[in-house]
Amino acid sequence: MIRALKLEWLKIRNYRLFWILIGMYLLALLVIASGGGLFLEYLKRQGVNFNGIDPTIVPIYDFPDIWQNIAYLGSFNKILLAFIVIISVNNDVIYNTMRQNVIDGISKTEFLWSKMLFIVAMAAISTLFLFVAGLVNGSIYSHVWGAGYIFDKTEFLAAYFYDIVVYCTLAFLLSLIVKKAGFIIIALFLYTIMFEPIATAIFQNAPYFKDGIMPEIVQYLPIKSLNSLIPFPFGRYIFMEIDDFVPFKAIISSTVWFVIYLFSIVFILNKRDLK
Amino acid sequence: MENVLEINNLSKRFGRIQAVDKLNLTVANGQVFGILGPNGSGKTTTLGMILEVVAPSGGSFQWFTDVKAVEARKNIGSILETPSFYPYLTAVQNLRIAAHIKQCGTERIEPVLAQVGLFDRKDDKFKTYSLGMKQRLSIASALLSDPPVLILDEPTNGLDPQGIAEVRDLIKAIAAQGKTIIMASHLLDEVQKVCTHFCVLRKGIKIHQGSVVDTLGEINRVEVASQDLEKLEKCLGSFPGLESLQKTGNSIFVALKPDFTSTEINDFCFKQGIVLKKLVTQTNSLEKEFLKILKEHD
Repeated sequence: MIRALKLEWLKIRNYRLFWILIGMYLLALLVIASGGGLFLEYLKRQGVNFNGIDPTIVPIYDFPDIWQNIAYLGSFNKILLAFIVIISVNNDVIYNTMRQNVIDGISKTEFLWSKMLFIVAMAAISTLFLFVAGLVNGSIYSHVWGAGYIFDKTEFLAAYFYDIVVYCTLAFLLSLIVKKAGFIIIALFLYTIMFEPIATAIFQNAPYFKDGIMPEIVQYLPIKSLNSLIPFPFGRYIFMEIDDFVPFKAIISSTVWFVIYLFSIVFILNKRDLK
Repeated sequence: MENVLEINNLSKRFGRIQAVDKLNLTVANGQVFGILGPNGSGKTTTLGMILEVVAPSGGSFQWFTDVKAVEARKNIGSILETPSFYPYLTAVQNLRIAAHIKQCGTERIEPVLAQVGLFDRKDDKFKTYSLGMKQRLSIASALLSDPPVLILDEPTNGLDPQGIAEVRDLIKAIAAQGKTIIMASHLLDEVQKVCTHFCVLRKGIKIHQGSVVDTLGEINRVEVASQDLEKLEKCLGSFPGLESLQKTGNSIFVALKPDFTSTEINDFCFKQGIVLKKLVTQTNSLEKEFLKILKEHD
């Protein structure tokens, strides 16, 4: 396992584009995880108030709510990690180095392992980073303190980790199917933030569809399944009931997609002639 | 002799095209085995299948005895068509990846780079290399683990004449160490110079297999000429090594008995007072044989 991961490490260690992207990613994550306070300050300066309540006292960094809040915001960033995966797999495809790796003495399964471990390692680093950012922000702003609060609801970090792994596996699959990295990046980006959310909104709200079976079906679309892992948390600050747990249904549908992606990758790798 | 590779009924079909058709082949330890054939005859597809990058439609193959193919590949140095490396990495960094996969340690990286003449450029990125240098790097990569078996697909592709000569010498030197080499080429001259055995593929079917020496036959024909051809012919009639004699235009072809060479003819004629103005040892070329074989199967 270490061997498979080291193979990937040797490939990216001296790859400047990788370090630029991972740097951008962690910076974006830091801004998202820590920028909430600044954003509320900004709202206050703009004269916004919530029914007479000063925005800066909204306790977004209180343990344990902080985990759901930053996991929810941070998960949007996974698109950047998917770009890294796309470029990494695409390199091995267009430079024919996947074939060379196989010729030199790995099996296609080992190739799959090295990429998957690479994805898991990035997801783990990202989760750890978010955890530390949460601890730091929480220790500064949280009104409550103590292990009971701090480590409560950390399942959202696990959901965040899983979300990244499954999403990046989708990126891995797409880069095996389509050879043009630029095209996949744009297509995946648009699908994730526009096509599927718009389609979902239409099917759930349009008069013709909303009473039929479609609203039920769209919940199981690939992106919607992943996004449902971490429910929208900010409703609680306007006294709405929210799901403050990882929904079981989302775990199941994400896992079904994950298995589909993995099997498709194995199928393609075994079927395809590397020419 | 122990077999390095055994291929049984290996086939590959791409859509309507039968690229390789029920190929049977055995390569023994220590052979320098040439796979010949015109373009599109299935040479590279065959090599691709035994290296598991092309999935066979049927048949099987076995490397060594009782070794899984993926483990066997770690002990095989291979060049398959175009050199494939990470363009953003240097030669050394690229070879480190190959060494990691082959689990062979990195201490041979610099020696093999020196061996193929890339030592001065070892820390330059692969994308800055010329085609010939890229080809040299793939040779270096194939030699990296000091493997007992080499697979070379058109190893002199893209090299300059000097490079071709160097690679040829390199292959001979490697073969002299008792290593097995499987080489695909359409450069017959190249195969004739380095190979001990060969087979000919045509449209995916093996149409000939044999040793290079057997196929080319015993070469013992000499072409001679002098100022006075009549006198020379008469004189050669009493040459002890004469098997037969054939006069054509302005030279005479002499077939020699075994153990006689052009030296004895020259010596003999000189003693008879005839100075030869032409003395050429005839060689059969693989090219002629190859074309003959192809024609026979048309």
